[in-house]
Amino acid sequence: MNSNISLVDGSKLIVESLARSGVEAFVSYPITPANWINQYASKRFPLMTFAPDEITVAQWIAGLSAAGKLPATATSFPGFALMVESLNMSFMMELPMIIILTQRLGPSTGSATVGAQGDLMLVNSIISGGYNLPVFSTSNIYDCWNVTEKAVHTAVKLRTPVVLLTSKEMIMTSRSMDISKLNSIKKVEYDFYTDETAYIPYQANSQLVPPFLPVTNNQHQVRLNSSTHDETGTIKKATKAALGNTIRLHTKVQRRLNEYLLYEFDQDENNELLIISYDISAEATRDAIKLLREKGIKVSSLFPKTIIPFSKDLLEIINNYKRVLIVEENLSGLLAKIIYGINPPANVFKVNKIGSMITPNEIIKEAERCLQIY
Amino acid sequence: MSSDLLIDKNSPYCPGCGHQNVTLNLAKAINSLGIDPLDVIVVSDIGCCGLIDPALASHTVHGLHGRATALASGISLAIDNPNKKVIAVQGDGGATIGIAHLLEASRRNFNLTLIINNNQIYGMTGGQLSGLSSENFQHDKANMNDPVQPFNIIELAKTAGASYGCQIIGKGDFTDYLKEAISTDGFSVVEILEVCPSYGYQKYSDIENLGYTNHKFINERKPFKLSRNEFKSLIDFDSSSDIKFNGNLEKPLQIILAGSAGEGVQSAAELFAKAAIKCNLNVTKKGDYPITVGTGFSVSELILSPDEIHYTGIDTADVLIAISQTGYDYSKSKIGENTFIIADNSIQNINSKNIFTFDFKTIFGKKNSAIASLGLFLILKNSFSFDAFENSLLESKHKEKLIPVIEKIKSLTDEIKLPA
Repeated sequence: MNSNISLVDGSKLIVESLARSGVEAFVSYPITPANWINQYASKRFPLMTFAPDEITVAQWIAGLSAAGKLPATATSFPGFALMVESLNMSFMMELPMIIILTQRLGPSTGSATVGAQGDLMLVNSIISGGYNLPVFSTSNIYDCWNVTEKAVHTAVKLRTPVVLLTSKEMIMTSRSMDISKLNSIKKVEYDFYTDETAYIPYQANSQLVPPFLPVTNNQHQVRLNSSTHDETGTIKKATKAALGNTIRLHTKVQRRLNEYLLYEFDQDENNELLIISYDISAEATRDAIKLLREKGIKVSSLFPKTIIPFSKDLLEIINNYKRVLIVEENLSGLLAKIIYGINPPANVFKVNKIGSMITPNEIIKEAERCLQIY
Repeated sequence: MSSDLLIDKNSPYCPGCGHQNVTLNLAKAINSLGIDPLDVIVVSDIGCCGLIDPALASHTVHGLHGRATALASGISLAIDNPNKKVIAVQGDGGATIGIAHLLEASRRNFNLTLIINNNQIYGMTGGQLSGLSSENFQHDKANMNDPVQPFNIIELAKTAGASYGCQIIGKGDFTDYLKEAISTDGFSVVEILEVCPSYGYQKYSDIENLGYTNHKFINERKPFKLSRNEFKSLIDFDSSSDIKFNGNLEKPLQIILAGSAGEGVQSAAELFAKAAIKCNLNVTKKGDYPITVGTGFSVSELILSPDEIHYTGIDTADVLIAISQTGYDYSKSKIGENTFIIADNSIQNINSKNIFTFDFKTIFGKKNSAIASLGLFLILKNSFSFDAFENSLLESKHKEKLIPVIEKIKSLTDEIKLPA
């Protein structure tokens, strides 16, 4: 195939990948740094509109999803915060949708045009009760294409909202790219209920997910419910059947993790040092790894792209290393907290920073330091 | 193929609750319009009236408090079939929280019906007042506030553009109003004044004494229709790149182009990046602006490299091209010992010997100085062929305006002198 080098950006690849993967509807409230995603989306989706606020966005996309039009939106922390209750609703109703969270510097409105990786604990914990939504992360421009596709497929196959976690520098930087190297995208197919017998809206298949029917169908009654409900979708107090349904929402996301687990592991021949990173800091880590190896230092890298739930498979990789260095653009190390809690072991080191991207040199310095002192 | 909307005639509410009469009237209205229950989608709010779902043969969606209208709006957005009826049901509390959703549904005139069950109080939480409670409402069991006049929700819907609205006392048979609302093309709101045996009035005469009367409005307005975009790929996979110029870089080159908003910095940098691609170079380009885009500095960071680029930050620039004082002041922290500076000669306080100054603003004007400075940079340093930049400029949609700029840059080639 002839090469086809174009100037592209992560926003464009994400939107095109969403559309090719099967997203039909896009509703948004304009916010930085989701600007380009919204601009591209307005040219790309058969159903696209702006809503007057992010609560409305989250409700409209839930309605679109209930009617079988797979929706997506893009926002950053201030908008995402407004969506939290509605995302709980869609998680409970089992409505597929894709939320692109473009991280910027917080807290609060922070600096709209400065990137950050500050929202990982937030997306880890938005569901009341500690249930997880699948959260994906883009560690380079190719991920904006491939990981987006996986996010769409996961949303539909698991019938759940998913979050695509990215950040300002990832999606608002243009770069040359050979687009002939982009994989062809597979359009997702819904698992529809096809039986003649009465439809029980929340009766799950063996894969822990109920077959879908839109509320616009004329064959079977559909009941969707945000409150605690049993298989029939009618509201119940905490009965055994209703709690069983709620617990299934946790189980389906956790047990099927291997179906949607994506990561990049660049393994060196020894197990002295593993550098873990995600999102924009993975790019600086790639440069750092190259330069460290040029210096003769043995080092491996791990970039989780399915970042929540954090897979035990990744823990197994991590635990093989004498030293672990976690690189992320936030103040206290959020991925480190997810992996190790509040008390990381002595062999775990961190590179953290706010206000600008972590540089390859900062990673190299800490890598060399931890090799020296531990 | 019509059947009864109501599959359970037993009331889920307290004995004597006004909601049950609304449910019976709604079922009667749907049945007498001959609407198949599976063509109806009832979206219910949190609150006593949200207990309606199990009694209905329609599709039912039970959502959050105050958001029934918004959720129903989303469903309506997906439907392009006038036979489908989307009906949102909420109480006066839900209507108060969701008042912005009601206004938006009115403004856009979404094709759906909102039924507001206004019994003056919040029944589930113990009788607090809502934004729709009358200032004359008094009750021993209710949690009273200072009396304040309520929102006139029907008037608000009318002003905001809803097709139909009515306010009715919830006693007896009011199916004609519901039938009218449900048959309306566009957004219709029905506010029903009700009794509440637990915390509110128990007699409809007390409701009437608050001053409510049956009335309605009709707005001749077309319902909202979403314009459906044509699918068109954002990425042109069929074109193939035409690498035909020379790049002369053996290692990465970091360039900062610094100007002010309105000086075409970002578009000049983009054309420059596209030119670098024509020379088989890898390139990254990103803009940097103040919090409010459109004022102050406008800076573009460009990295050119023979190798793949990962990290896209510039800590110390190899080249700083500054065409405005504001841009220079913002970017000067990235000047290092070896940074080569090209600057408009209006810029003050540059302390560097590795500098080339030129009167860009006078010769090229404010709009073209960014392009001219990048062009002169290529002529001075030949990091890649100026011909590639020319080619990129000629592919721009502003080609006609750029031809004289290109000619002027070329004419200067012999005049300009390399810095020492």
